[in-house]
Amino acid sequence: MSKKKVITSTGVEVRHKPLGLRIWNNRGYYLMFLPVFVFVLIVYYWPMLGIRYSLYDYKPVGDKVFVGLKHFQNMFQTAAFWNSFKNTLILSVTKLIITTFTSVIVSVFLNEMGNLFAKKTLQTIIYLPHFMSWAVVASIFTLLLSPSATGMVNGWLKSANIIQQGEEIYFLASPKWWRTIFYLINIWKETGWGTIIFLATLSGINPELYEAADIDGATRMQKIRYVTMPALANTIITVLILNLARVMNMFESVFVLYNSAVYEVSDVISTYIYRQTFTSAMPNYGYSTAVGLFKSLVGCVLVLVCNYASKKTRGRGIV
Amino acid sequence: MAENKAVYRKPKKKVSVFSVVNYIVFIVIGLIILIPIWKVLVDSLNKYGVYQFRLWPRDFTLDGYRTIIETSKLYRPFINSVITTVVGTLLGLVLATLGGYVLIQFDMPGRNIFAYFLLFTMIFSGGMIPEYLVMKQLGLVNSMWVLVVKHGINVYNLVLMRNFFEGVPGSLYEAAKIDGCSPMGIFFKIVLPLSKAALASIGLMFAVTVWNDYSTVQIYITDTDQVNFQYKLRVMIMDGDTPTTAYDVSQTTLYNAGIIAAILPFMVLYPFLQKYFVTGVNIGAVKE
Repeated sequence: MSKKKVITSTGVEVRHKPLGLRIWNNRGYYLMFLPVFVFVLIVYYWPMLGIRYSLYDYKPVGDKVFVGLKHFQNMFQTAAFWNSFKNTLILSVTKLIITTFTSVIVSVFLNEMGNLFAKKTLQTIIYLPHFMSWAVVASIFTLLLSPSATGMVNGWLKSANIIQQGEEIYFLASPKWWRTIFYLINIWKETGWGTIIFLATLSGINPELYEAADIDGATRMQKIRYVTMPALANTIITVLILNLARVMNMFESVFVLYNSAVYEVSDVISTYIYRQTFTSAMPNYGYSTAVGLFKSLVGCVLVLVCNYASKKTRGRGIV
Repeated sequence: MAENKAVYRKPKKKVSVFSVVNYIVFIVIGLIILIPIWKVLVDSLNKYGVYQFRLWPRDFTLDGYRTIIETSKLYRPFINSVITTVVGTLLGLVLATLGGYVLIQFDMPGRNIFAYFLLFTMIFSGGMIPEYLVMKQLGLVNSMWVLVVKHGINVYNLVLMRNFFEGVPGSLYEAAKIDGCSPMGIFFKIVLPLSKAALASIGLMFAVTVWNDYSTVQIYITDTDQVNFQYKLRVMIMDGDTPTTAYDVSQTTLYNAGIIAAILPFMVLYPFLQKYFVTGVNIGAVKE
């Protein structure tokens, strides 16, 4: 059997088996990969072929008609599309910054807690909401914020005489309140879970740094400011980069909380696509595919940019 | 991580103002998290809907839960949720394990192509509508199995599995090979038993994702026999689509009982499995 001779960089001569033999030797692994391959092909790659529909008029009835870039022209002239694009950026970036901020604060002060039992109990409690679905969280807060007689928040406001009977606030149906409530609910749900990665970083800080600060007579706040926060800086950047790559994906959290009264401040690209397709009387799959393609492309650019930024700042990519 | 012991303690000192304030702040944070959940729990056991926050139900009733157990429009979605979660988690674990293991076979020709084949899906996707049209062609629209197919393959979890396998010491493979173990034998007898913790946490991640999924059902399923519990709950509360029941139960009681039923499986497991829930994050994010 002929074997190819290969000289490695260290000058050692190794004999590589011929390709055919290597494939044959690994046949079991190819077989193992087959189911994964089939599923990925069906779930991820097959839909990519459907991108071509963005160039067609494609309705549930009738034939597909090639229309070129018409849908893209339409899209860029539609105010509702731009509104959803703007909302996607505003809602996800603000949410990202706010929840990262609260997570950092909570983990810094959680780290200062001397009593381990108290610390662990609190961690158990604040991780809890992360495991609730968005449908559940939306249900909980819809009931709490309800303007009906059983809504807790409006009930409290009334009993404290801040608002009168008949002045109930429709928190989730008022453009003035919706975004604030959306951010608050996100803080409630995700702050605790976000602390995990920061607490991991904090537990890795060399205790000698704190001892040195003690000797220098630093107060507790000074230690937080000059020892703890700098140690967290890299992790904060990492978290921001990782999540920035995903800002276009916002769907479920908005979908379960929004309604027709607040489209103006809440409609994001995915919910826009959804409504164009599934709630319109005569959907044009071509148009919604075009909007979806725009979303995928922006998302793709964001992932690549964040990947590059990640390689620069911490030496490894995100994909 | 939280379990890490390297907590620096100050040399003996009196209780400082800082500590007191810190504890008070965290008690408030804990209450902010717990009050909404506790209110839902109490209201689900209370006969009448009230706005007040109470520690215990005043007019105790189990009718909300009885309604869910006895009304087919409510327990069917719950059963669907259980089925899809179990099957989806098993399929997800099988595919993530197979794929993750193949990706560390450095001797295998084409390994890199496979890796790029998988990673590309994390960068680009066809989008909601083409995905919908594919599922339609597969006959999965209006079937709960769409949840299993869509969540069964998860490239992110597959990469987590790969990262874990990579951490298994190479000498173990060598030793097994010398003892005459076949590649498949190594996988089943050495690698899988070592991976119990990773399987548990990634399995939990799959289970949480499938159980909690609402949007897939919203997009793909309109047949009320095929929806899952999250969807049913949301429709019931937001659209007031309450099924008729033999019990004289107030809407609020039923809604709150529904919320509790939707979170019950994980809330019961959570205190025991918190470790696995948390390690999932750490294999992924903190591994540098």
